[in-house]
Amino acid sequence: MSSKSISRPYWLSVIVIGLGLVCLWGGLSLPAASRYAGIGPGAVPTFIGAVLVVLGLLLAIQIYRGEPFEAQGTENADPNLPMNLRAFLLALVAAGLPILTLKSFGLPLAAMVSFALVARSFGSTRLGWDLLTGLILGLLSWFLFDRLGLQLGGLLPLAGI
Amino acid sequence: MNSFEYLLHGFGVALEPMNLLWALIGSALGTMIGVLPGIGPALTIALLLPVTVSIAPTAAFIMFAGVLYGAMYGGSTTSILINTPGEAGSMMTALEGNRMARSGRGAAALATAAIGSFVAGTLATLTLTFVAPLVAELAFIFKPADYFALTVLAFCSVAVVMGTSRIRGFISLFIGLGLGVVGIDKLTGQPRLTYGVAELLDGIELTVVLVSLFAIGEILFVASRYSQARETPLKVSGKWMTREDFSRSWKPWLRGTVIGFPMGALPGGGSEIPTMLSYTLERKLSPKPEDFGHGAIEGVAGPEAANNAAAAGILVPLLTLGLPTSATAAVLLAAFQNYGLQPGPFLFTSNPDLVWGLIASLYIGNVMLLVLNLPLVGLWVKLLSIPKPQLYAGILIFALIGIWGVSGSEVDLIVMLIIGIAGYVMRVYDFPIAPVLIGLILGPMAEYQLRTALASAQGNPMTLVETPISITFLAIAALIFLAPALLRRLRANA
Repeated sequence: MSSKSISRPYWLSVIVIGLGLVCLWGGLSLPAASRYAGIGPGAVPTFIGAVLVVLGLLLAIQIYRGEPFEAQGTENADPNLPMNLRAFLLALVAAGLPILTLKSFGLPLAAMVSFALVARSFGSTRLGWDLLTGLILGLLSWFLFDRLGLQLGGLLPLAGI
Repeated sequence: MNSFEYLLHGFGVALEPMNLLWALIGSALGTMIGVLPGIGPALTIALLLPVTVSIAPTAAFIMFAGVLYGAMYGGSTTSILINTPGEAGSMMTALEGNRMARSGRGAAALATAAIGSFVAGTLATLTLTFVAPLVAELAFIFKPADYFALTVLAFCSVAVVMGTSRIRGFISLFIGLGLGVVGIDKLTGQPRLTYGVAELLDGIELTVVLVSLFAIGEILFVASRYSQARETPLKVSGKWMTREDFSRSWKPWLRGTVIGFPMGALPGGGSEIPTMLSYTLERKLSPKPEDFGHGAIEGVAGPEAANNAAAAGILVPLLTLGLPTSATAAVLLAAFQNYGLQPGPFLFTSNPDLVWGLIASLYIGNVMLLVLNLPLVGLWVKLLSIPKPQLYAGILIFALIGIWGVSGSEVDLIVMLIIGIAGYVMRVYDFPIAPVLIGLILGPMAEYQLRTALASAQGNPMTLVETPISITFLAIAALIFLAPALLRRLRANA
């Protein structure tokens, strides 16, 4: 937290209210009452949505009053460090890329690329080693979990395996 | 048959060679992930869930119990030797244990932690053996309204106790409840909040949410604030426990057990509060309070015992009522559901092999863990030399397999990315994570009980407050709103 000015992350309450509205909208489009049970399938989502909207507003009031937000402490991370945007984005790409690569390239290749990206985002400079480690890890896991009966897709779909 | 005979029968199950092997695998895996940063028992069990398709339920739960206990043992090793408590429950151990290791008494600190964990784990399992069937009997008289009141109580306590702000706790809880609603309504068959996405009809899997929040959220957070500080584990030095160490340790072990077990059984109790309470108590009772802050062995013995006893405590409400009180318990409940089993009073009669085999394996697991952790501690410390970039990269790969292996659907991978980013935001702005998981898994149960209760009373809402049990639960839930003030005082004293 910088000492210059208190940050006011109003966007947090916007997201909470938005989630609440999504629930409310879904809930209100369903029958709220049923003939004998008192409440129908729509009642609970409507209630959850309404409460989220109220909580979002309360959060906005807290933020307005200058509520401090301190990052949680965890191993290997220093919550007081400024955010390293480049590392964050690299890790985000590593987590998101499998949406595109997993089905068409297969687990071992997708694992290889994502492994190297995460390692790079943590400051590893040995790209070749990381690619190799990722590939071996992906291959080993594929064979192990395939044995255990998991459906992990093809080994190398490009080659038709 | 009484509890004792059932337990003997359970030992028969747990001592089968294959089950012993699963217990050993679980204990070793648990210790390993307890030592490693970035991966805890809840995430590990979630990643192991896919294997439930190929192994029998008894074997799976024996392994999961080993992971649960093992993580507690392993966690103390890192907090003593490198002063980075892996979980909230090991924070207090790091306080005194690391100082002991620095002043050349690392071996004694590790010994009191491991033996204390063993004593507490065994005593707590013993209590579990005889308390659980009684609670299960009690649960037979629960009506839907009582169950609903119980879940309301659980919701209130997790939202209030886990985390620093009540508002943020409840936001986490209600996001979880909202995620739990997605999918086909069990009572009417209508799709809810699916917005036309066919893959959402089955609902959002707890595994996907848990892995995304714990693994993806953690990787993003640590990557963005990675501290390169090299931490070399201290050498295990000094004697194992001396006679004096032992006489200073045994009372804290017992007191820690007494504090930890009931707190673990309470929703939201977790392991943070009992270890804190135990630490504060030991400092007050110690004949040498001046030692605290400089490596007092009581400050390791008590909290470590409390920590393990709390881990056993979470099994009481889980097995007897089907009520998860922590993230780990939530994922264990998901494992039961994978097998089509519903924990609760009926489990004791319908699956005695599973329940009693599991309880018996806890005794065996504790013995294994004592052996794995004391003489072999050097082996586990070696794990700390895995370089961090590759360690976190490996965690991502296992997370991907855990999610891809469940359904093989790209929608789950997209959900993983979105919830992973949410997990990052929650860490940065200090929203507690466990209430999301409790809300997700317990919400549908609460709704089912609510609607069953109302249906049998022709929709009269007064039925919810008709029995003394439900009135008591709802009253306690209301009281819990006052808890934060009390806790703040406790934290200030610690």
